[in-house]
Amino acid sequence: MNKQANLYDDIYDKKNIGKKKSRGASLDKRKARAGYVFVLPFIISFIIIYLPIIIDSITYSFNEIKIIPGGGYYLEFVGLQNYQEAFFEDPHFVQTLTSGIQQLIFDIPAIVIFSLFMAVLLNQKMIGRAAFRAIFFIPVILSTGIVESIDSQNNAFMNYMNSEDAIETGASTGGVTQIISAVDFENLFENMKVGTELVDYVINLINNIYNIINRSGVQMLIFLAGLQSISPAIYESCEIDGASAWETFWKITLPMVSPMILVNTVYTVIDSFTSESNSVMTYIQSVYTQNDVLSGAMSWVYFLLVILIIGIVAGVLGTFVFYQKRD
Amino acid sequence: MNAQQAPKVTKETKNKIRVDFERTPLLQRIKAKYLSLNFLTNVVWAVFRFVLLIGIAYVILYPFFSKISGSFMSMDDFVDVTVKLIPKYPTLDTYAQIITKNGYFSALFNTLILSVLCGLVQTFICCIIGYGLAKFKFKGSKLIFALVILTMVVPHKTLQLSMFMHFKYFDILGIFNFLGGGVFEGFKILNFSSINLLNSYWPLALLSLGGLAFKNGLYIFMMRQFFRGVPDELEESAYIDGSGVFRTFIQIILPLSIPMMITIFLFSFSWQWTDNFYSTVFFTGTGIKLLPSIVKIPKGLDTVYAGQQLYESAIRNTCGLLIIAPLVVVYLFCQRYLIQGIERSGIVG
Repeated sequence: MNKQANLYDDIYDKKNIGKKKSRGASLDKRKARAGYVFVLPFIISFIIIYLPIIIDSITYSFNEIKIIPGGGYYLEFVGLQNYQEAFFEDPHFVQTLTSGIQQLIFDIPAIVIFSLFMAVLLNQKMIGRAAFRAIFFIPVILSTGIVESIDSQNNAFMNYMNSEDAIETGASTGGVTQIISAVDFENLFENMKVGTELVDYVINLINNIYNIINRSGVQMLIFLAGLQSISPAIYESCEIDGASAWETFWKITLPMVSPMILVNTVYTVIDSFTSESNSVMTYIQSVYTQNDVLSGAMSWVYFLLVILIIGIVAGVLGTFVFYQKRD
Repeated sequence: MNAQQAPKVTKETKNKIRVDFERTPLLQRIKAKYLSLNFLTNVVWAVFRFVLLIGIAYVILYPFFSKISGSFMSMDDFVDVTVKLIPKYPTLDTYAQIITKNGYFSALFNTLILSVLCGLVQTFICCIIGYGLAKFKFKGSKLIFALVILTMVVPHKTLQLSMFMHFKYFDILGIFNFLGGGVFEGFKILNFSSINLLNSYWPLALLSLGGLAFKNGLYIFMMRQFFRGVPDELEESAYIDGSGVFRTFIQIILPLSIPMMITIFLFSFSWQWTDNFYSTVFFTGTGIKLLPSIVKIPKGLDTVYAGQQLYESAIRNTCGLLIIAPLVVVYLFCQRYLIQGIERSGIVG
């Protein structure tokens, strides 16, 4: 359709070659101008505010800031010293970074799969669906920002105390700190000949369920929207052909929401590496109060690593994504 | 089963006929419906699903219940081992202390102003930018969209320091500095004459005006996807009727996108409300107090005893509850728009 439109444009242009342009610009040009007006706020503020901030942030990480007592500041170029300090001198940075990224890589599949599963459940017709939906999206609105930081403050203390009765007095936040103990689970899996890594992973997941639920709200919303956009006619024809629900899920639902899986995975990575509960961010934050330039350098290192992860994930998932052809 | 007999047709009146089908007896029908494997699996699945959903809903709601119960507990309850969830000596002291000593209402009022301001501005700006990106083809539109995605991807925490500096020594491309006669000396800038915008609503207002504030990239993306789903014919017919681009936008497109805008407003309002990153970076303590500043132990409750740590975390939780209380009301009224809006956005693209 696009090609056709271009063709018409070409013909229109050729017709116009001979004529003098009597009335200002063509509709397309005027529309293009209007388009600029619409995005103007973004362009202006990007140039005035965002670009300097980004550039400053990068320059700061190569400099040291000296505040002039009377007001103002100046920079002293120190080259890669901040990065060197982050990697070689700071005792905790590399360690926190590797464990944080490991945690990130483990969490992402869990969050994406969980939110897809919940979205499929919440999409089915049943009693109290509206109520369940309302409850499931509570964390999106309420458990962010301040509440999250209060939680992590209290959790730090709880881990330190590690007392059982603390949970019941309402002081603990996670509420469900330990749903199952590792021993129960190992007993269950003993005969199944699966590696201990997998067992540990699953135990971690189940004990982290509160965290995972809290972080999968927006993803659930996006999946739900994706599921709702699948035409019921496809499901109907599947039913007529005698496909079971299980087959329908793998053959229809999953390919149809696969673009959403990509979007959600990228969103999850972005969301979880900026979140309050992230150990690396917390560490960088704690460094910020002592040495702001160093924390800047650290966060750029972290950011680049995460961009790398996003690139790899998007590249790998991109090959599996199925796009329904639309006219 | 015997072959279906032809239905009996009787003529009742001139224009009315009556058709009698031979129906299977009720008992057989019930048997066929309820004694099949299909029905059994459906029931088992429904029960399983219900239990699972209840369980997860419990996991989500339990912390809130436990926080609420903790907020009514008095000091003695925290050392009493027999107290579980229901306080023995219920008290409103925690609430009273936080509200009176921590300046709850002034913080609430300030945050309300800020959140409404940011919410409205962000909603409108993201709507405009999303519309521009979705419906107009112009040079560099793809680049601008990529930049929008970039602002979404770069976490604002990475830019914390430079954002702080930028708004502390606010200056537009060195114009103020030039006018004020700032003196450069190599890399050092002396005599800095710029405006300190910290501790005011300006930094966030400016960021919102440019669509650069918290998660605005996501809002712009959602808006763009929504507008791409709006048929072009709608605007074309308006153009043919002689309406200009802007009039079309205001009179035809904006009314259409109200549900979507409510979704965006809900997001931006509540995320600004509970935000504690910007409010700590841009509000350094003096001047305007926002809600994050009330999260502290009031002086009247600051005592040393065995359950002190527990007590203090319960107090912090109470602060959290007080902060989100107004949001709960907003959520109750607006939550249905949340799903509707996202559905209509066709974020699926």
